[in-house]
Amino acid sequence: MKNRILVVEDDAAIRDAVLLNLQFAGYETRAFEDGADAANALEDDHAFDLALLDIMLPGMDGFELFSVMEHYGIPVIYMTAKTDSASEIKGLRDGAEDYIVKPFDPLTLMVRIEKVLKRIGKWNAVFRVRDVVVNIETHTVTKGGEPVVLQPLEFDVLVMLLRHKNMTVSRERLLNEVWGFDYLGETRMVDVKISALRKKLDLEDAIRAIPKLGYRLEDR
Amino acid sequence: MKLHQRITLLVSIVLAAVILAVSLSLLLYSRQTILAMTTEQVERKEQTLRKSFSEMARYYAKADDSEIVHASLIDYCFSRFADQTAVLMHDGEPVYTGVSIDPSAYLKKDDTYQTEYDSVACKVHGKNLLIAGGMTSIGAENYTVYIVEDVTDIHTRIRRMSLIYAGVSILALCIGAGAVMLLVKRSTKPVAALSEAAKEIADGAYEKRVDVQTGDEIGALGQDFNRMADAVETKISELEERNERQRLFIGGVTHEFKTPMTGLLLHTGLLRRANLTEDERDASLAHIEMQTAWLERLTQNLLKLFTSDEAIERSEVDLPALFETVREGVEPKLIERGASLSIACETQTLLCNPDLIRSLLTNLIVNAANAYDANAPEKPIALTVRGQTISVADHGRGIPKEAQSRIFEPFYRVDKSRSKKQGGSGLGLALVKAIADAHGATITVESEPDVGTTVSVTFP
Repeated sequence: MKNRILVVEDDAAIRDAVLLNLQFAGYETRAFEDGADAANALEDDHAFDLALLDIMLPGMDGFELFSVMEHYGIPVIYMTAKTDSASEIKGLRDGAEDYIVKPFDPLTLMVRIEKVLKRIGKWNAVFRVRDVVVNIETHTVTKGGEPVVLQPLEFDVLVMLLRHKNMTVSRERLLNEVWGFDYLGETRMVDVKISALRKKLDLEDAIRAIPKLGYRLEDR
Repeated sequence: MKLHQRITLLVSIVLAAVILAVSLSLLLYSRQTILAMTTEQVERKEQTLRKSFSEMARYYAKADDSEIVHASLIDYCFSRFADQTAVLMHDGEPVYTGVSIDPSAYLKKDDTYQTEYDSVACKVHGKNLLIAGGMTSIGAENYTVYIVEDVTDIHTRIRRMSLIYAGVSILALCIGAGAVMLLVKRSTKPVAALSEAAKEIADGAYEKRVDVQTGDEIGALGQDFNRMADAVETKISELEERNERQRLFIGGVTHEFKTPMTGLLLHTGLLRRANLTEDERDASLAHIEMQTAWLERLTQNLLKLFTSDEAIERSEVDLPALFETVREGVEPKLIERGASLSIACETQTLLCNPDLIRSLLTNLIVNAANAYDANAPEKPIALTVRGQTISVADHGRGIPKEAQSRIFEPFYRVDKSRSKKQGGSGLGLALVKAIADAHGATITVESEPDVGTTVSVTFP
């Protein structure tokens, strides 16, 4: 089952971009631009694993909306342009899980969302692409129901690509996250693991090399 | 060395010199007078003695008296008048003497005198003696009469007097110096207070003042000092206020830029990295276009806001023509909002900067147009000029009472989401205010929610 995420943001450009990023990462989403509308809608539908809230919102501001979220037991991450530490402290002291300041890197937002979901034990550890199913918790990979054996590094590269499905992940970022800082610059090692993954999982056309950028696992 | 110490020291030195000079001269004069009087007394005593003795001796003496008779007559006559200070000498031998010294050894006959020996002061065996002498003749014999007066006592008294003088002088000096020190200290006390206050002000206590009530130059200095401190305090608080306004403004600008920047970054990221469909790509580009246009408007307004601060050029502007240009500029907005504009022009020309006033009026009319809801009343927006006052009146939704005082603040929006949708940068009225200020004009706002708003700009 996919994790459901509620987004309340009044700026259409930011809202649409966040929604796309969330959908790519495999989340189900619902979005509102008005705080009061969001609060009303929660009466009927409050099965959300997480809420991303802007603070300065029409209708009802993010801090007010927080108490509604608390009522339904939905954890909150604030997204705001407010940089003063006073509102950060207020947000966190009230019980928000995290606080992300605009402008932010979408990949960072995804990592923070994942951390919160893991912490509250709601993280969906199963990723799918075509007939390949990856369970991150049990470290198992199946293709068409048959288990496939991957090396640890191959597995980690696959997970990185799955987490940012439909988004290009640079070789540097892969090296950084999978190998660690020591291997910085040795981008050829990434290419080796990618070609192994492509062969073992029959994902030749799904894992695309994007010139000058990196690799993208496409699934749409 | 402190000022009061230096003044006290200087005055004390002068005082000491004066007291010393005065008491020394007084002392010397008194001493001389006393000694002169004593000498005169002794001399007179000697003269009296000599005269009385010689008259009596001459009266009784006979030329045929034997030597012994003559000697005893002399002795008798002299002793009749002499006391224990008198001495009678004859041929260098004492005939009668009341003292233990030989006065002729101390007092020599002065050749210029016939009979007088004058007098001499001398010290013998620790005693101050005053010796006066004179010569007389009885018959054929010459006699010398001396008075040897012991004046040790007078000298002792003079010495005692000197000590008393010295004591009184020192006392006077001490009292004088003390009084001077107290006086100087009292008069330099306000200076110390001023110095203390200046130090505190330098350390940031700008509200500090001095309490100097004296009517002299120091009092005037104190008042000047307080005036200066007033000026400094006013200036500092003005600067602090301006600083705070600027800080808030910059915070506002940063915040205003962040939202479109976030949108731009997210969408460029998507376009570059994501596997987007054709429709998603179009939507992303549309967002980018809108956010960029919005940033452009924001920077334009910021630029105008900054440049309106500078000194402006003014000319006699033909108002009907200016209003027509304004109408052309706001026409698309009026059509979009379904509003109309009526112009009433009672004044033909106004001394102002046409570009800035066009900007001001355009902002006010766009605000008025945005104030109309979809079910806008038929009443048009009225642009009126009467005398030196230009006003823009609408029958839109009005401004809530609590918001009216804040509408000229940069980035203040009565309804944030509506304003943004209508393309407001949050700087329109701040710009209007800045332009009015640059012209020395005053702005008044009359507004009633759901009735309408009238903004009037009155030029000097």
